[in-house]
Amino acid sequence: MKTHLATHGKVVDSHKRSADGAPWSLLEKLLLGMTPQQYIVQAVRNPFNWILALIFAIGLPLIAGRFFFGLSWVTHSSNDYPWGLFLGFGLFAMVPLSASGFMLGTTVEIFGRHDFKPIERLALLNGLLGYLFAVIYLLVDLGQPWRLPYPMVVSFGPAAVLFLVAWHVATYLSVQVAEVSSSFFEWIGWPAAKKFIRDITIGLTVAGIILSTLHQGALGALFTYAPGKVHPLWYSASFQWLFFFVSAIPAGLCMVIAVSTIARKTMAWRCDEEFKNNLDKLTISLAKGASMGLVTYFTIKTIGIAHDNEWGYLATGWGAWYMFEMAFGVLLPIAIFAWAIRNKSASLARLGAFITVAGIVLNRLNTALITFNWRLYQEIPHWREVIISLTIFAIYIVTYRFILYRLPILYEWKEEKVLVPETVSEPVQVHKPYQGSPEPVASYRTTD
Amino acid sequence: MSGISRRKFLTCTLVGAGATALSLKTTDAFASAKLEGYPDSMGVLVDLGRCVGCRSCEAACNREQQLPPPAQSFDDPSVFDQTFFNGQKRRTDEKAYTVVNRYEPAATEQPVYRKSQCNHCNEPACLTSCFVNAYTKTSEGAVIYNPNICVGCRNCMIACPFNMPAYSYSSATNPVIKKCIFCYDTRLKNGLPPACVEICPQQVMTFGHRKSLIEIAHERIKARPDRYIDHLYGEHEVGGTSWMYLAPAPFEEIGFDTTMTNEPIISNVKDFLGTVPMVLAIWPALFTGFHLLATRKHDIEQHGDDHSARKEEEKKS
Amino acid sequence: MKIKIIIPVIIATFACVAGLSPLATAAAAAPPAQVRIDQLSKDFEPVEFDHAGHVDMVGDCGECHHHTTGTSAKDPDCMRCHSSGATSERVACRDCHAPDPFSADHLKTTSEDRKRYHRDLLGLKGAYHRSCTGCHEASGGPTGCLDCHQRTEAGNALFRAGKYAPAPTDKASGH
Repeated sequence: MKTHLATHGKVVDSHKRSADGAPWSLLEKLLLGMTPQQYIVQAVRNPFNWILALIFAIGLPLIAGRFFFGLSWVTHSSNDYPWGLFLGFGLFAMVPLSASGFMLGTTVEIFGRHDFKPIERLALLNGLLGYLFAVIYLLVDLGQPWRLPYPMVVSFGPAAVLFLVAWHVATYLSVQVAEVSSSFFEWIGWPAAKKFIRDITIGLTVAGIILSTLHQGALGALFTYAPGKVHPLWYSASFQWLFFFVSAIPAGLCMVIAVSTIARKTMAWRCDEEFKNNLDKLTISLAKGASMGLVTYFTIKTIGIAHDNEWGYLATGWGAWYMFEMAFGVLLPIAIFAWAIRNKSASLARLGAFITVAGIVLNRLNTALITFNWRLYQEIPHWREVIISLTIFAIYIVTYRFILYRLPILYEWKEEKVLVPETVSEPVQVHKPYQGSPEPVASYRTTD
Repeated sequence: MSGISRRKFLTCTLVGAGATALSLKTTDAFASAKLEGYPDSMGVLVDLGRCVGCRSCEAACNREQQLPPPAQSFDDPSVFDQTFFNGQKRRTDEKAYTVVNRYEPAATEQPVYRKSQCNHCNEPACLTSCFVNAYTKTSEGAVIYNPNICVGCRNCMIACPFNMPAYSYSSATNPVIKKCIFCYDTRLKNGLPPACVEICPQQVMTFGHRKSLIEIAHERIKARPDRYIDHLYGEHEVGGTSWMYLAPAPFEEIGFDTTMTNEPIISNVKDFLGTVPMVLAIWPALFTGFHLLATRKHDIEQHGDDHSARKEEEKKS
Repeated sequence: MKIKIIIPVIIATFACVAGLSPLATAAAAAPPAQVRIDQLSKDFEPVEFDHAGHVDMVGDCGECHHHTTGTSAKDPDCMRCHSSGATSERVACRDCHAPDPFSADHLKTTSEDRKRYHRDLLGLKGAYHRSCTGCHEASGGPTGCLDCHQRTEAGNALFRAGKYAPAPTDKASGH
């Protein structure tokens, strides 16, 4: 893309071509204003795409094989370990990392912190894609995925926690699609639809908070069905749902930091000045939120150990593993964030964010796979299961990139910027949260 | 700010809450404490002191439930020496709803053989974890399964404290749970004992009303205290099971999990499930309140007046 | 003339009655030499039990027939009630041990009759095996299933044995 932009200039960021004022067609919008040949040339030139091509060449046939030959072909068919990487990573790890949607939505729309606006859409998209792909992982894992709608329409088991998860994820996906759709409607040119979404945004956001609290907690509550099977240091009969819900908060925030860092690095051409100038500041703010979440999480985990009097377990091998997870995934990021916030170092905060993301993934894998059945034996996932999980994650990355390249997430759609000065009759006193922050331009929306 | 008015929001919330309230049934608040299950349900008392490991029960189950042929003959005792992964003995799988394993506890001279299968709990964890209600506890005591609505989430396998349900992973088009169903369709429904009970030459298993079996079991322990450990496994574990066990050696030495509480698995989950309607009820008002508190001040600072008054102004202009 | 007919008739009648009422009392009739046990005749061949041989080997009828044949009970628990050693009309195993112990009717009688003492009675099949194998183990008699009764074709199919045995593979089942 960089080479293309160097030789050919602008990409699509408004309905009209800047050259002659004629509108872009949908195909041109999809191809980012390039001809098909130019598009293919820049795609082939990108080395990351070669890695993706390799992963897909191996992984896509494996995914097809899972459906043709059954789960026995891609897993160890274990009756002791019914859940493997598809759920352990794809569902249990990806869902807390997608908590960014409700976190930033709440911050901006409920608490009115519009200074987070530049990153809000990225956080919403992160949430949507994370949940969408969690469902895709689920479809690969379910024995009969074509029966996925059954708990919605055919037969209800409302006493089951999974029933709640199913309904909530379905509803929350709809909420998130609606929230992200406003950028889609901008891009495609349907302002009435966008206005409708903006009108119901508060309702959507509150619904999002309710649904997120419950299903983030519910994923933890799933393990209360197996009290003897998860190691006591990772399990609490009373607080399991709180552990998962509270850890989802730093998870979501740090995932936004991580993704924004990657976007800033790899898609700098797509990010507008608003985004680029505010990113470091916002990263520090997100880091503050994440570190509060991590401190709280560490506290409640310690309370959990005290509550069930599990101190003795710390002296075992599993105890050492637990302390590693806490030290690496929770305490180290807290220290890094503290240093970063104090010294206003966004790059250090980013390091802390990546470590936190790894720590959350480690915690979920520990709970669902590694310490599960700790009294029996350890199971190593089948190699096909590992490759399929990696492939679906690659599809997630490709989808993410596809949307970020096109929709106004990292940048503002020109028409949105132009509209505002016409409707605001007098200069607006803007809330400046930080000293030395740049004067926001008129794209700051006050009349949604 | 977005265009939703407080009035519209409150109306929607109340309608939603009203709809939710109407859909909930009123129940006796203390009912769960009195839950006794089906008082006339049947059960099976498994007296492990009698078992000689002939595996006729495995053969009978295979025939009755039309299971696929096993890898070894049912009269092949070499299966007792098989171990998997780290010394694990055989377990139920998609081809075997029941297995017998051999144990050599220190307390007895002879080996002890132990038959394991679904214990048909009074408050089954599999049933409570199923989000399409595929399991049913019948009044006869069997916990049966409906393969026509099972989605294959395998949460029941996670939930079962005895690790009994197996999954037919080998099927690409119709994988389902495979477990003992107490021969419900072919026998129990008609008042007959299951195939394994009937064929057992040593009458290891006694079929009868669960209540009677508990009495009989304690009478056996009382009559021959030298022959039995003074505990009826399954009388109370995880809320009580229909299949109960007497043993000549300590239960933990013959493959039983003795760390189970007497509470059924659902007791663990109930606390969270009870939180759900609370969050549904409290969060809307809580966060709307935050929103109004957080933004009203901002509006007043920004525009010097109330948000709704300004909207009226804009509408007029 | 009539007496010549009547007396043989009477003798024949007595003989029939004596012959037809099997083991009416242990004292009245001799124990059978062979007992055909064929309860499991679907999966196993009938057992031709050498009763006479066991009478010689064991000696004391009470070893197998508890205390129904004139000897007193030996087990102190049994002696509490059965110390007198009276003979019973019901001596055969099947007279007390039901062939179908878990039928609804049988369960009804045992559970409803609250005064019944021996409600935890073995069924007939269980009684045979537990009585026989216990003694055989101690005295070196046959203890394997096939030592006493061969399987029928159906039995071989049931146990997947003989010609129904699965082909040997490397993979073990069970996990």
